[in-house]
Amino acid sequence: MIDINAYIGHWPFKQLKYNTCDALLQRMNQFGVDISVISNLNGIFYKNMQRANDELHDEIKSNRRFRNRFLPFAVINPIYAGWKDDLTKCIEKFGMVGIRLYPNYHDYTLNDPKCIELVKIARDRGLPVALSLRMVDSRQRSWMDIEHEWELKDIIPLIKEVPDARYIILNVANSTKLTEEEIALIRSTNIVVDTSGRALTNLGEMLEKFGKEKFSFGTHSPILDYLTGLLRIEALRKEEANEGIKDMLKSGNTINILGI
Amino acid sequence: MLISKSRRKFLGYAGLSTTGILFGSASTSWSAKAKSIPSEFNLMAEVRKYRKIDAHAHVGFKPGDIDEQIDFADRLGIDKLCISNPITNYSGKEPEDPAQVRANNDVVLKAMKKYPDRFIGYLTLNPRYQKESVEEIKRCVDHGMVGYKGYTQVKINDPLYYPIIEKFIDLNMTMLMHAFVQIGVGGYRMKYDTGQAAANTTIPEDMAEIAGRYPEAIFQFAHIGGGGDWEYACKILKDHKNVYVDTSGSNNEEYMINFAMEHLGEDRLLFGCDGSYYQGIGKLLAADLSEGQKKKIFFDNCNHLLKKSGNHVD
Repeated sequence: MIDINAYIGHWPFKQLKYNTCDALLQRMNQFGVDISVISNLNGIFYKNMQRANDELHDEIKSNRRFRNRFLPFAVINPIYAGWKDDLTKCIEKFGMVGIRLYPNYHDYTLNDPKCIELVKIARDRGLPVALSLRMVDSRQRSWMDIEHEWELKDIIPLIKEVPDARYIILNVANSTKLTEEEIALIRSTNIVVDTSGRALTNLGEMLEKFGKEKFSFGTHSPILDYLTGLLRIEALRKEEANEGIKDMLKSGNTINILGI
Repeated sequence: MLISKSRRKFLGYAGLSTTGILFGSASTSWSAKAKSIPSEFNLMAEVRKYRKIDAHAHVGFKPGDIDEQIDFADRLGIDKLCISNPITNYSGKEPEDPAQVRANNDVVLKAMKKYPDRFIGYLTLNPRYQKESVEEIKRCVDHGMVGYKGYTQVKINDPLYYPIIEKFIDLNMTMLMHAFVQIGVGGYRMKYDTGQAAANTTIPEDMAEIAGRYPEAIFQFAHIGGGGDWEYACKILKDHKNVYVDTSGSNNEEYMINFAMEHLGEDRLLFGCDGSYYQGIGKLLAADLSEGQKKKIFFDNCNHLLKKSGNHVD
């Protein structure tokens, strides 16, 4: 089983538990997860996010067990100095296998030319691009945190702009309402949505609507609890997903989107 | 064994480490990985292990939701659901008069009649209508309702609530109150006023005040997972022993349950979903709790409260 949506690092407005490689690995072992795709939360808050990528690299290489169980993603801010060099370093030196973007926190929009350029570079290098529709529930946000959360519709313009990139959409917490044309676009795009978001109340219906190859197990750990994303898969009715489809959701679709 | 089957298949894929995919370790093999492998965890077996009373559930919010609640409950091993149908009035334009109150309670009575072995009915009121509220309590209790669910018509510590609380003290029944602590709502950090039509939302301080005034009443502070600041709520309610807290709501933040345990103790937490069934169960099973604590929170604590009025589950 592969968790496509996990983190280490800190959230500045609240103490997190299980937010180190060691603690995350214990959770993985406890709950039957083989591999986690991880990035460093600190990259959201450091102006120079590359220091967070350095931290993640250092932590993973510090223990052989970590190297065997984690697939790191780089946090890249395309409007900050040196991002192309940072990307190269993360991919070629650190062996990171995808990128995470945080436009709302890093203060740019998805249609910013720099963002489009980054996504095209990721496409050309075979790297999936991950976007989280929200990080925390804005109802309990700190007065210093951002208020805006995305809906699924909000990422459509980026997909239209670079339709041949690979996308990972995380923590789908709000409306999933799309036009028929937009649903068709999602279906034709190399994209997966993780199961951590609260909007996936009826995953069986979503599988039918978007395709069984479009969803992957994700926890959004350590911000969200470790099991709800998995429960959405395991509680599917037999007519909604047989064991083969559940295997796709728990690992196969993630392997495909990562290109490994 | 779903997990083990999945793992066998996973191990059958090209071998992440041997292809150099795993972090900077082209020479790593699966034999090294096998030294630290995940447990054979069966989530659905864990789900089915515990009897459950959902202490915060609703019907009547959308067509067909009575059967939908039962469908979720059947799949997730929930024995009983404490249902209510408060007037939410999100638009600010819905009627909140006694006729509407009765109509809402009738939806609950209808659901109780359809699934008498599954639904436990809680009535709702608008305390602004004092005389009619007393009459409605009698009508609903006579028809088998065993608790109360209040919404945002009046804050729980408003004097309008006093005679209603005294009535529920006489009945030994729980008063579940919609409550929140979100910046800009109900008086909490109103410099960030969100403009929501929920100025009368009960906040933790309101609940603490009324719990002190009526220590013999049984209060249930709604959904610490409802999106509000659960750390704030738990800290305010820490010493008010007659306030129970339900864990329902769509927000399933890690460590919410253990934080609540640290502040409120294992006897004052009630499992609830408020329609967010996966989160309701997932966050409890993911929490660092003993078997006994899970059993208490999923079932025994709520049943203990129901027993006070003789309406517990055998």
